[in-house]
Amino acid sequence: MLKLAFRNLLSRPMRSLLSLLGLTVAIAGMVGLFSVARGLDAMISDTFNDIPGLVVMQPGAPIPIFSRLPTDWGDDIADVPGVAVVNGEIWQRVNVIDGKTIISPPRFLFGIDIPSRVALRKCVYRNAMLADGPYAGRFLNESDRGTFNIVVSRQIAEEFEKEVGDTLQVNNREMTIVGVYHHGSLLVDVAIILDIDQVRSLTLFDPDSVCAFYVEQEEGADVEEVAERIRGVFRGREVERWKPASAIQFAPASSGNPLIDFLRRLDQGLKSPQPSPTDDSQEEKNTPASDGDGGPKSESESEVIDSRVETLPGQSFASIQDEGATSAEAGEGDDSDLPIEVRSASDWADRFDEFAGDLDIILGVLTAIGVTIAVLSIVNTMLMSVTERIIEFGILKANGWSKYDVLKLITIESAVLGFAGGVLGSLFGRIAADVVNLMWPTRAHLYASPGLLLFGVVFATVLGIAGGLYPAFWAMRMMPMDAIRRG
Amino acid sequence: MIEIQDLTKTHYRGETEVRALRGVTCRIPKGSFTFIFGPSGSGKSTLLYLMGALDNPTSGAVSVNGRNLAELSARDRDEYRRGDVGFVFQSFNLLKNLDAVGNVLVPFMPKGISPDMRQRAVELLKHVGLGNRLDHRPNQLSGGEQQRVAIARALLKNPALVLADEPTGELDSETGAEVFGYLRRLHVEQQTTVVVVSHDDRYVTDGDRVLELQDGQLRNGEAGGTERNED
Repeated sequence: MLKLAFRNLLSRPMRSLLSLLGLTVAIAGMVGLFSVARGLDAMISDTFNDIPGLVVMQPGAPIPIFSRLPTDWGDDIADVPGVAVVNGEIWQRVNVIDGKTIISPPRFLFGIDIPSRVALRKCVYRNAMLADGPYAGRFLNESDRGTFNIVVSRQIAEEFEKEVGDTLQVNNREMTIVGVYHHGSLLVDVAIILDIDQVRSLTLFDPDSVCAFYVEQEEGADVEEVAERIRGVFRGREVERWKPASAIQFAPASSGNPLIDFLRRLDQGLKSPQPSPTDDSQEEKNTPASDGDGGPKSESESEVIDSRVETLPGQSFASIQDEGATSAEAGEGDDSDLPIEVRSASDWADRFDEFAGDLDIILGVLTAIGVTIAVLSIVNTMLMSVTERIIEFGILKANGWSKYDVLKLITIESAVLGFAGGVLGSLFGRIAADVVNLMWPTRAHLYASPGLLLFGVVFATVLGIAGGLYPAFWAMRMMPMDAIRRG
Repeated sequence: MIEIQDLTKTHYRGETEVRALRGVTCRIPKGSFTFIFGPSGSGKSTLLYLMGALDNPTSGAVSVNGRNLAELSARDRDEYRRGDVGFVFQSFNLLKNLDAVGNVLVPFMPKGISPDMRQRAVELLKHVGLGNRLDHRPNQLSGGEQQRVAIARALLKNPALVLADEPTGELDSETGAEVFGYLRRLHVEQQTTVVVVSHDDRYVTDGDRVLELQDGQLRNGEAGGTERNED
């Protein structure tokens, strides 16, 4: 019967081909779209598997670059039982490299406290250092403190055609590359790593603030227990005002990078319900209480900063603080009074899972449109085919084929179409994903997993069967005499 | 034996009622060779199809060897058509996507084709003179050859009943005679009951039974038509 089904399809090649193409395009589109989400999943998973520690940051900040914490809180965290290393870090966006304005993909100055960073048992950047060829170099060490020696990702080195020993103009400051790393994750391969104090001086970042602390727990310590102990230290602590750093003040509503903008909006959307207009206590409770506690910034500097804040377009510092405060209060339940948020790798992964879930809905809708068109194409093909072959079904029934045999024949034909469309669509989708990754390695990370490809084939086969069912039911209901008479 | 009792069949063309059969009663003895004659629209093909369980009567009954076809389950009706009845149609009704062997094997495809069955199909095709046309498709065969494939298809079942609807209608005289030769041989060698709808009485021979229909009614006798005897 399968042979007959094949022959029937081949006997009307153009119609079968067009139907096949329709389904192929739809499934290829589906694979391509979902490979975006799967790529994101895979990237997040791979990335955070290599970052097993905790990140302590400002509540409500979607990623460390939007977070500010007092530097001396690092000492409190270091005293928590189970904590091995606390590494303060500053993230600042790079605007210009070697005279080229950086928009996308984004690049970041990543200021690290070198001694504590070196003390980490597992440092994702240090572990990803390249040791061969022109990129053979070293990670930062004590001798790099107070210098503009940098470690950059291979993407950056390749983009600007630099090797170890070359200099790079970053935000108009000449820096020397001492090492190159390559991790493979779009989230990791974006950094220019250097001494934290140099980043502060370069970006006018408050010397008594950091963006976040990376915390490595002692070997064998339970990461969730350590996280809870850290929260316990800060629970009920009055939120102290620290000097807002220049970057956050100057951060416009849009960072200029769509990914970061999207992540920020997403995180805020996930975490922050609309603040109640009657909740006047939020600002008092969560915004800095007084000037000057956080750092020794001079009055003149503060005035300069304040004047810049006033001239900011779009989102002001106060509104950013409000958003963070709102999310801290409303989103964390019993931890609403916490001035910090402690995130483990699994927390990050969960957040991105939610993000990917929302993305899946959008992609699902887009896919549904394409698939609907493809299914209608199959229904049309099979209906036309059945209409043309009414007499054939009459002959088959006259020769003892049951109506279920006829149903089976038509369904096999449409299933063959669906299966072939699924295989071709999955294949083309996979190729397209690889081509996109190849053409834009620094901007895209699509992943058409074997599971997704298999789903594409199964889904297309099911669609094919579903598309053939109506014509098949129509044909099987006819009496043989009716079919022959119509013929 | 086929017993037809007060058989009526009404169908519709659009909103027009067509009374194809209007109370036909007759008997067709087992092992007989029966012709059904009548002008176009007299209901002879309808009667033939009802005997083959290809349609349901509006009223009345068709019983074959004591089994009322209308009362058979769908599965039994399929089995009856697949195993007991061989059909030969005027327009051959072969499947264009199958070669000669495939067309002969069509009735048994859903159940699976054994090598023995395939071998028998080949032998039957050779028997009807198509040994050199086994892998030819219908559009590569002449009308007579196509009808011989249809006869081989009917023969593969070893049917107790062969129903032929104008089997020579699209054939020249010589080929028509050849086709009737095969039907006669089947009738004689296997005592198969053969019922042929035709306009052409040239192929009637002594001992054949003849039913004449006009306007959906039997013209020549309630019991079972007329037995033709040239004497």
